[in-house]
Amino acid sequence: MREFMTGNHAVAHAVKLCRTPLIAAYPITPQTPIYEKLSEWESSGLLQGIMMRTESEHSAMASCIAASLTGVRTFTATSSQGLALMHEMLHFAAGCRAPIVMANVNRLLAAPWGFWADQLDSLSQRDTGWIQFYCENGQEALDSVIQAYKIAEQVFLPVMICLEAFFVSHFMEPVEIPAQEEVDRFLPPLNLPHRFDIEKPGFLVPVVSSDLYRKYRQMMQRAMDSVKTVAAQVDDEFKTTFGRSYGIIEPILVEDAEVLLVTAGSMTSTARMAIQTLREKGYPVGLLKIRLFRPFPVEALQQTITGKKKIVVIDRNCSIGSGGIFCQELRAALIHSPDPPFVYNYLAGIGGTDVTPDTIGKIALDAIRRVDPADESIWWVDV
Amino acid sequence: MIEIKFKGRGGQGVVVASELLGRAFFIEGKFPQCFSLFGSERRGAPVIGFLRVDEKPILLKCQIYQPDQLILFDLSLVEEKEVIEELKPGGTLLINTDQGIEAFKNWRQFKIGLIDGRPIARGAGVEGALNTTLLGAYAALTHEVRKETLIEVVRRMIPIKTESNIKALQTAYDRVRIYESLS
Repeated sequence: MREFMTGNHAVAHAVKLCRTPLIAAYPITPQTPIYEKLSEWESSGLLQGIMMRTESEHSAMASCIAASLTGVRTFTATSSQGLALMHEMLHFAAGCRAPIVMANVNRLLAAPWGFWADQLDSLSQRDTGWIQFYCENGQEALDSVIQAYKIAEQVFLPVMICLEAFFVSHFMEPVEIPAQEEVDRFLPPLNLPHRFDIEKPGFLVPVVSSDLYRKYRQMMQRAMDSVKTVAAQVDDEFKTTFGRSYGIIEPILVEDAEVLLVTAGSMTSTARMAIQTLREKGYPVGLLKIRLFRPFPVEALQQTITGKKKIVVIDRNCSIGSGGIFCQELRAALIHSPDPPFVYNYLAGIGGTDVTPDTIGKIALDAIRRVDPADESIWWVDV
Repeated sequence: MIEIKFKGRGGQGVVVASELLGRAFFIEGKFPQCFSLFGSERRGAPVIGFLRVDEKPILLKCQIYQPDQLILFDLSLVEEKEVIEELKPGGTLLINTDQGIEAFKNWRQFKIGLIDGRPIARGAGVEGALNTTLLGAYAALTHEVRKETLIEVVRRMIPIKTESNIKALQTAYDRVRIYESLS
């Protein structure tokens, strides 16, 4: 059934369809509509699970970890400062191999204060052991939450579904809501190990020797590596059932392109329009969308990028002192390529500033005109 | 694709207006996309609503700079020159005002609809929000959406004072003064 709704409400629908029994959350703009919608359904009896209204995001994540270890599906949603406050527990969730699913609405981090789109909040959690997906629109956010449970419950790692403030969270668009029976078939009743027995409470995170710690970390890394394959399989299965798929990366008009734009999240949609215009004007420009960020799909990217002359990564985030984070990761992935391309980094859309097809077109032309490589990130301001 | 921009103040129903109209387009089988910009969520603060509608899914994920249609809830928020620069040539302007067409002689290159929304809304029993009133006027001015669809959306989405809102919509539909473009 197709309905007209925001990205936030699309996420809430996904959580309801996944029959998540435990949702623990704390409201924060611009994620709050997810929390409110789930609360509304809880009070009207439409939600199968319960909402735990915790006193902070740190507690919300702690609750999700505990519940997950009793063998049930869990969900939380947050943004920006809330995610930052969760930081310590994010490490615990991944280390405990708890298959929690979280939606993070990408909002800038203070200071100064604001509510606008910026991916730095989730990207700065990249080393916590969470799988991360970046979504282009509400439909993809809904579908990715459903896929996330299937992936998390196979590899025993938590998943963060990222959608940008405003451009996804608050954009109302037609969204296809899958039928409950289909989601039930795709996500059969859960049979996770019960690692925590509430009848016999105990401490789950003992002190270990250095050797054991290293082994656990290595197992986590191996599980994380397997996500590249598992996520692609789950996406294929999803397509069979629901008719939609996204890939872990998506190449668009890449084959005959000499210059490749790289984007993640909502900017990708706008870039799809921009490259059409550039093509009509005769510029050999293609587009590559990165959907899966953790684990970073190194092999898939290497294959797609081989033979290209210029890569133009547009980042809606900046690691101060380094630059755009998608660009950092991509440069590292390409270091052993034969005849590596020039990789340019443009910072655009930071703090929710608007990125139009024209912005992207101008960035592409700027990169096409450049003769020399550039190590530093280019702060793009439309003129 | 049609791009519509709504300008008003917090409390006038700008955000809800764009959502109601978006939903009406959706019911009529179109692909709408709507969103809003507000600096701070409080009464009186300037609010901008955006609505795009097309026969196919819309890929743009950015603001609207040159709308085809501009709906002004509050004239005090716009400069005469700004409207001329912003609105697409051949565009349509819906203005909530108690003034006559002579006050807008420099905008006559556009198709204009004038509606004195406040007394209409108040007369129908709606205080504050002008969204349903202006949407009634919009339907008569542009014929982009059917009045009946808008009424259906109001019934579905506005649980309080539903009939008053429908009355305001209907009255504005009948009373909007329409002036074709002079160019």
